[in-house]
Amino acid sequence: MSTWTAARAVFAKDVTTELRSRYALSATAVFALASLAVVSYAVGPFGGRPELLAAFLWTVLLYAASAGLAQAFLREVERRTWLTLRLVASPGAILLGKGAVNLVLLLATEALVVPLFLALFGASFRSLPGFVAVLLLASVGLSAAITIVSALLAQARAHGALVSALAFPLVVPVLMAAVAGTRRALVEPGVAPPELKVLAAYAGVVIGMGIVLAEHVLDD
Amino acid sequence: MAWRWGLFFYMAAVTVAAFLYAPLARKLHEQTRIIYWHIPVAWVTVVAFVVAGWHSWRYLATRDLGEDARAAAAAELGLLFCVLATVSGSIFSKGMWGAYWNWDPRQTSIFFLLLIYAAYLTLRAAVEDPARRARLAAVYGLFAAAVTPLLIFVVPRLFFTLHPDPIVNAGGKLEMHPRMFQVFMAALGGFTVLFFWVYSLDVRIRLHQLRQDGVLPGAGKDRSA
Amino acid sequence: MGEDLGVRLGRRTVLAGLAFDWSGPGIVAVTGPNGAGKTTLLKVIAALLRPGRGAVRWEDGGRALAGRDARARIGFAAPELGLWEDLSGLENLAFLARARGRAWGAGDGQRWLERVGLQGRGDERVQAYSSGMKQRLKLACALAGGPRLVLLDEPGSNLDAEGRGMTEALVGEAARETLVVVATNDATEAGWGTSCLELGGVAGR
Repeated sequence: MSTWTAARAVFAKDVTTELRSRYALSATAVFALASLAVVSYAVGPFGGRPELLAAFLWTVLLYAASAGLAQAFLREVERRTWLTLRLVASPGAILLGKGAVNLVLLLATEALVVPLFLALFGASFRSLPGFVAVLLLASVGLSAAITIVSALLAQARAHGALVSALAFPLVVPVLMAAVAGTRRALVEPGVAPPELKVLAAYAGVVIGMGIVLAEHVLDD
Repeated sequence: MAWRWGLFFYMAAVTVAAFLYAPLARKLHEQTRIIYWHIPVAWVTVVAFVVAGWHSWRYLATRDLGEDARAAAAAELGLLFCVLATVSGSIFSKGMWGAYWNWDPRQTSIFFLLLIYAAYLTLRAAVEDPARRARLAAVYGLFAAAVTPLLIFVVPRLFFTLHPDPIVNAGGKLEMHPRMFQVFMAALGGFTVLFFWVYSLDVRIRLHQLRQDGVLPGAGKDRSA
Repeated sequence: MGEDLGVRLGRRTVLAGLAFDWSGPGIVAVTGPNGAGKTTLLKVIAALLRPGRGAVRWEDGGRALAGRDARARIGFAAPELGLWEDLSGLENLAFLARARGRAWGAGDGQRWLERVGLQGRGDERVQAYSSGMKQRLKLACALAGGPRLVLLDEPGSNLDAEGRGMTEALVGEAARETLVVVATNDATEAGWGTSCLELGGVAGR
């Protein structure tokens, strides 16, 4: 299907550009590390309670995600490649491709942040598979939502900071479910469904809506 | 014209009845009379949300800027009513449980509804071109509408995991004294009518402005240049 | 096979009440002073912009096309359509082709670079190109891959005399197969066209 080919092309292009400029990667990493440092400094290594740890982790990830993932579309507008991109690729392909790039970026950030987080707080997961499931599903939903919001705002020529303001209300269900699931994985063994179902439902809704509304998201 | 006076007297009557006619629920204080105000207002917030969502959809289907005007009007009013609902809810909460805000499921839901309304209006403010603004706002509105049910039904379920503290329902008892119920439903109806009246005024103003600007076709007097 | 355009455009601030019907192959020139809306018109034709009033209709071989299908067959070179500076010339060409679902091999890129006089520079990042080189690359991007409609906004900008001669040759060659629309202020370029649409100034029609 040509949407897939086009999406793959968009994905490959963005990965190439990103690896060469390392703009979004550095922005995300810096924001993640800075906020992690602040939290660790304030709380100390024995901060302890699982709800708090879960909340801190996702606050750091959300902050880093909004900073780094918002660039996806903004830079196309700034570099004047926005129209060229829209000329050659369908809206669905653009959203899919950029969404995939953002997901990869988020996962890479998590690979950096999570181990550091565990080390700084002396924590460990009773159920690592449970946590990984939560992490993956939440990342899909989070990156999808932020991709769509940044697509909307790039056309508004609005400042990138607005992306956080507009994305936050939309991602609240993800965050709440992710925090609850992370807390659970810190204290209970096994993989429990409730939060995973919510995360999967959210990801499904956002991606589904994105596919249905793709033309309207990107077409002038 | 007459029906507006009718609405005025009706609402006045409802207000009086709320204080004098309806009895107090057992074990509760005078503060609980606020439910005649708070719950209808929260209900209107949801109505406004649905109206805004519906017209957002219609805009994308027809690209008629009149639909966008209706969505925007509903959202503005929705924000107003949402603020009123949040404030009245926290007053109620203080009276019932001693704290203005305790993040129980209802309060959390109304807070995030507030955020979504504010975000929607912020987005509208950030875009100048009317057609682009309408399209982006409509898309955001529909995404928000799709995600909100998850929010409203997710929160209770997850919250009980985080907070074993059983502060549940901001509403009153379900079995209401018949008189309470009458006043309650009357207030609900009155506020709904009030909303639609103000909403229709807002829409009329906006449509007139759009016609003046030449964005919508129609007889506008005095179209200069 | 050419493209057919039937349009009545009314866009409150920029274009008003335009109507035209073009079919290719051939060259159409769009002229007019700055601010007359030439670029806007091209964007509407490329389905990158929705007109406030009126519509553009594209037909290929007698069949009507929807906007997004038309876009896939349109080549567009303009100052507002930039290229990716972190990618090389060859990578830009390859991306544009693949995003449209066209087959594209290494050889195709090299051939087009030769035709626009960029041979040997294909592996450098566009960031390092001069403005003239970027314009040549844009032309290659617009013409490569067999578009059914070619839109060129100020094709000669940033080019030296040799470059403009090359452009004229390429345009002439493309015009034998497809419809080429050239928006320009330059009288010579306007002269390439067999027909001409003149956009008025601020006053509109």
